[in-house]
Amino acid sequence: MKSALDIALEKASKLGKMSVEEMRETREKELAEVGEALAARYQKGLPIRDVELELAKYKEDKQRIVPYLLDGLWERIDLGNPQEVDKILSAIEHFTGNSSVAEEIRSLATEYQNDVEKTLGENRNSLEDGKRKDLKRKGISGSAVIPMIESSPEWLQLREGVNSRYRKRLEELKSSLKAL
Amino acid sequence: MKLVGDFYAYLWPGVNMQEMMKFGNNCNSYVVANALPGNKHVLVDPGQVVNETRQRCLDRLILEIKKDNLKIEDVGLIINTHAHPDHYGASETIRKISGCQVAIGKEENEFLKLAGGEMAKALKSMGFEMPEINPDLYLSEGELRLSQNLVAKIFLIPGHSDGHIGIYWPKEKVFMGGDLVFHGSTGRVDIPGGSAELLKMSIEQIAKLDIEYLCTGHQYGSPGIIKGKEQIKQNFEIIRRSIFPYL
Repeated sequence: MKSALDIALEKASKLGKMSVEEMRETREKELAEVGEALAARYQKGLPIRDVELELAKYKEDKQRIVPYLLDGLWERIDLGNPQEVDKILSAIEHFTGNSSVAEEIRSLATEYQNDVEKTLGENRNSLEDGKRKDLKRKGISGSAVIPMIESSPEWLQLREGVNSRYRKRLEELKSSLKAL
Repeated sequence: MKLVGDFYAYLWPGVNMQEMMKFGNNCNSYVVANALPGNKHVLVDPGQVVNETRQRCLDRLILEIKKDNLKIEDVGLIINTHAHPDHYGASETIRKISGCQVAIGKEENEFLKLAGGEMAKALKSMGFEMPEINPDLYLSEGELRLSQNLVAKIFLIPGHSDGHIGIYWPKEKVFMGGDLVFHGSTGRVDIPGGSAELLKMSIEQIAKLDIEYLCTGHQYGSPGIIKGKEQIKQNFEIIRRSIFPYL
């Protein structure tokens, strides 16, 4: 079995054999991983000042990490979760110094929420009836039972219809953000 | 362990300090066997998958119910009395095994969204993730009808948590009360969603019921099940006298 030292030496010897282009690609991959990891940690609660502190450790590479961080943040935008959207947009505004695209996304998130609520309202009775029948078939009924329709496959299908309408618009806004 | 008729009780060890320290925290679980079509069972409060002392709580429950010739694969409905991880934690794992429906009080879902976030942070600081739960149905005050002519009454009993429910089986005189009352004690009210005043009101509401088997959520060094009308009446009296003034 190889020791940690053997593995490290092996890696180092490979590095020596890399071309400049290969070394650049390897470094770029590492920076992309840092950006993605910082986005994940921010979403899990790492304060923005700590994200900045982490970035500062990379000195001259900091500005190369930021686009990957922004990509990672962008991928985490879920229009169905307004609080998270707001949190992620705050970070996007912070790192781009621009609030116009973030504002458009906020407004898209509000529009999406309204659309979801409208679709749910229009279909609530039939979805509830369906779920109630399903529960009765499984032997569960009575005045205490309130069917939870938000997790039913029928509702998830309807919601996917709403999602698909907004996905394209979200991608367009993402392109605008990248162009900044 | 058979309680009465098709009712079974699975008490988490902890009738003395040594056991409590060794086994850590988990709740008592209850099964109503063959309550649903296809001889499916109702499981009340499945407890955790693994607890803070790394005890494999769900594995233990599976083994215990097996001793009564019941199988976790045959659970058709899980009823969670409230949204604390030591009670509902294994719900989604059991759903994956049996395809069962998962129920909880409607108000508890709001708790999970709000105060649950705080609880998740507290758990995370101890190295635990808040278990997931995606209910198929909510339960509110009213009648829960199951097949086999089995009827339960659902009571909203806030106090330990905002949307805590209790399940009363009038024919068998069984009450499953989660963390409302224990032997000589009550559920805590000093955690998010807790209220001493609401707990007292909930206890008084349940004390009026005709109960032969009071099934509690934890043993905490005392019997997990209080049997007999007189014993139960005395237990409520002790709680009124000795616990209410300090709540």
